Amino acid sequence: MRTLLVLTVLGGGVAHATVAPALGIAGVTPDLPLIVVVLLALRRGPEFGCAAGFAAGLLQDAAGGGLIGVQALTKAVLGFVIGAAGSRLSVTQPLVQVPGLVILTVAEGLARFALLKMFNFSAPFSELMFYVVLPQALYNGFLGALLVVALAWIESLRARTS
Amino acid sequence: MKTRKFALLSLAVAVCLLLLTLQTRGYGARAADALAAVTTPIQTGIARAHRVAFSAWETYLDWKNVRAENGRLREENQQLRVEGLLVRETDDENRRLRRLLALQERLPLTTVSGEIIARDWGGWMRALTVNRGRGDNISRHTAVISPDGLVGRVVEVRPGASIVQVLTDPASTVGAHVLRTRAPGIVEGEPSGVLRFKYMSRDGAQIQVGDVLVSSGQGGMFPRGIPVGRVRSIDDRGTALFHYAILEPAVNFSRVDDVLLVTGESRQDLAGFFPSDG
Repeated sequence: MRTLLVLTVLGGGVAHATVAPALGIAGVTPDLPLIVVVLLALRRGPEFGCAAGFAAGLLQDAAGGGLIGVQALTKAVLGFVIGAAGSRLSVTQPLVQVPGLVILTVAEGLARFALLKMFNFSAPFSELMFYVVLPQALYNGFLGALLVVALAWIESLRARTS
Repeated sequence: MKTRKFALLSLAVAVCLLLLTLQTRGYGARAADALAAVTTPIQTGIARAHRVAFSAWETYLDWKNVRAENGRLREENQQLRVEGLLVRETDDENRRLRRLLALQERLPLTTVSGEIIARDWGGWMRALTVNRGRGDNISRHTAVISPDGLVGRVVEVRPGASIVQVLTDPASTVGAHVLRTRAPGIVEGEPSGVLRFKYMSRDGAQIQVGDVLVSSGQGGMFPRGIPVGRVRSIDDRGTALFHYAILEPAVNFSRVDDVLLVTGESRQDLAGFFPSDG
């Protein structure tokens, strides 16, 4: 579990630092660590989701130069909630994955905004939501769905060959 | 088990809230320093991996681009070579035909131009096939010339083509004289592919290597004054009646492509209509 956790956090970090800028469309980049945390929390449960979310968020906080602990907290909670609810959710359909990830990203954005507001952050809510959170949420939704489909295809291929 | 899960979540939340509180109360620098001690090596590693990944990717892209460009340039180069060859060939043909046309226009003779369509280059016979035959008013013994000099005579006429016996054919004989001294003799073909000039010693004593020989016009088969060859060496037979000189043919028979077939007669000396160096 530890190895997978380290790989997840570092892999998400590397992907976020390398692939995300290249995937940018009109200034909107996906939140790759968030997608990774959600997908792994669904498979590995709340503990893994919480730890992975905390570590990945902490790295993002450190890299971003803002208040340290905000993304660590929101992603840890998100990883935990998704991990706990994973067994009760049917997430194999893209019709569920896309809106699911959109809602989760928006929820994470709202939680982050609320936290920052508690600690005297003064950004306008509507603009932040409209220009940053929502576009990123849509992007995350489609990218996450693609990733789920790709993973499912790889797994079916492996099952067929073994 | 459930308690452990919530404990982990509580711990994560508590650490985050502590970090946030410390930062807002002015201990941000210390908290950031403490975190940086942990995250900086990780970020350094990530940045290095990023650099390595991008560098490898860029190298691959460069290689791919260079490879594609290389293929394109090779293709372009090949096409240009072919085009160059075609241009050169057309240029050569144009030059040859211009020379032939110029000769045809300046000669006081009726001639028909023809193209060499085949070569019989065995040791026994040396012959060319011209694409002019019976329908073009060609008859047996018609003289065949090129801008460089005498090629030979027609020995066989067919409906659309004629066979030309070239001067180097072992059965070929042409009356000729040295342009400088007017010493007469007979030029014969040799199986080795050269020409031999047979002359009487008392008349040709002044023959020198490099002398140009032209057709004498005797017998009426060949017009007078057409270059036949140049003396390459002299075979002095001492007191014998006949001496011999080996000639370099004026025409390169293996490379001649276009010729003129002399269909009219002329008594005029034509030496002045050909290049003076033979």
